[in-house]
Amino acid sequence: MKPEPQKVLFAMAGALAMLAPEVGTAFGQQTSGLSAALSMVLAQEWDRAASRLVDENVAVTGLLERARTVITDEFLHARINDVVDRIPATDLRVSALQLENDELRRLLIEVHAAVDGVEDAAAELLNRLIWDELRESTRRRHMAAVR
Amino acid sequence: MESQLATYLSERLNSDSAVAVANLARIPGGASRETWMFDAAWTKDGDAQTAPFVLRKDPPASLVESDRAVEYAFYRAFQGTDVPVPGMRWLESDSKHLGAPFFIMDRITVGETNVRNISEPRYAGSKAMIGRRMFEVLGAIHSFDWRESEIAKVVTAPTVETAWSEQVSYWEEMIGRNEISPQPIARAGIRWLRNNPPPPAERISVVHGDYRVGNFLYSQEGIHGVLDWEMAHLGDPIEDLAWAVHELWHRELIPRDECIEVYERTSGLAVDRDVLHWWDVFTGIKAQGIWLTGAKSFNDGRSSELILAYAAYMLTNGTDEAILRSLGRGA
Repeated sequence: MKPEPQKVLFAMAGALAMLAPEVGTAFGQQTSGLSAALSMVLAQEWDRAASRLVDENVAVTGLLERARTVITDEFLHARINDVVDRIPATDLRVSALQLENDELRRLLIEVHAAVDGVEDAAAELLNRLIWDELRESTRRRHMAAVR
Repeated sequence: MESQLATYLSERLNSDSAVAVANLARIPGGASRETWMFDAAWTKDGDAQTAPFVLRKDPPASLVESDRAVEYAFYRAFQGTDVPVPGMRWLESDSKHLGAPFFIMDRITVGETNVRNISEPRYAGSKAMIGRRMFEVLGAIHSFDWRESEIAKVVTAPTVETAWSEQVSYWEEMIGRNEISPQPIARAGIRWLRNNPPPPAERISVVHGDYRVGNFLYSQEGIHGVLDWEMAHLGDPIEDLAWAVHELWHRELIPRDECIEVYERTSGLAVDRDVLHWWDVFTGIKAQGIWLTGAKSFNDGRSSELILAYAAYMLTNGTDEAILRSLGRGA
């Protein structure tokens, strides 16, 4: 049994923070402090990255499915169909989930641009839901305070 | 690097003997250029001389890709004006001396730049004065007649009609070139900026480009030097005002309304609050462009500066939230 990576990273962060005042130069202290802060951040990311990406990919896929009934541009419509039919794949590595996330959010940008400001009930609803998702996407990425 | 610096300075200072370089140390921060301080000692006409200097050296990659000659020209233009800046000494584009181009300037030995220290109790009695001074100096930057200075030789001025669109295009391109992942919030912000253009700028002035606590030297006596001109350009002065009071780094030295009142009095400009809001949205987009540029440099292996990775992890999401709030879409 090995210690969980998250715990190792937290311990590294603590060690680096403890050592920082003993470093002899201001630049060295800053580098130690940044190393500590980054270790803390990576510890949080390591634990939650897959969960955050799966949640977000499901949420964005739902918006794109709804967009199929709203978007009239044929080219954009075809690309939405392609992506929604293909995602999610079965690869659960964080790198694979991130690639799916990138593809979904790239398409979401285009859908948002197509409905933002359009005076049509379905488009207005989709627009509102996209803004809700963008707000939620920032909540998913919140980090615990790192000093 | 001491010996290379000493060799370089011996030629520039016309010293009688070899120049001695001491106390060479990298200054924290400086995410755009490596910043080093050092002391030099030499003799000239038999007299012993010493001087403190700062070296700004080009890195392989940084948060912002900027032109050192332009930064140097902006510093030089403000020497001897109401805007305190360090004296410029040498601009060197040849990499043979230190391995990269650089410039050297006098080191102002009073004051500090730390963004947190200004909130400490020792500044309780002077914080408001520094805050007022901050916006008086900004007014002075924007009142400066750049047309007769060397700035006019190194940068192209936009028109009052194109000042906003040139900035949006520049940072939209930076985001497009450097985003590691798609940025739906920044893209929505850029759409809003283009769909709601501001009126023509009241004047085209020098824009510092990163004017905030952290980029000037301050003490309980006031402000001693405005630094970090690497993003300086010509444009709408309200761009700088919006940046200076933006929620991401505004330290509330004085209330926001007082910042604007002091600024209006010293710049001679009446600040249209709608225009200020437009530049507030822009500030979030530009900040995101800066973090993304640094993140890409780190990710591509062009830089191993930890501050670039730190900014990507710790600042991009907060910036997205700030953009949402400025668009009226915040939680």
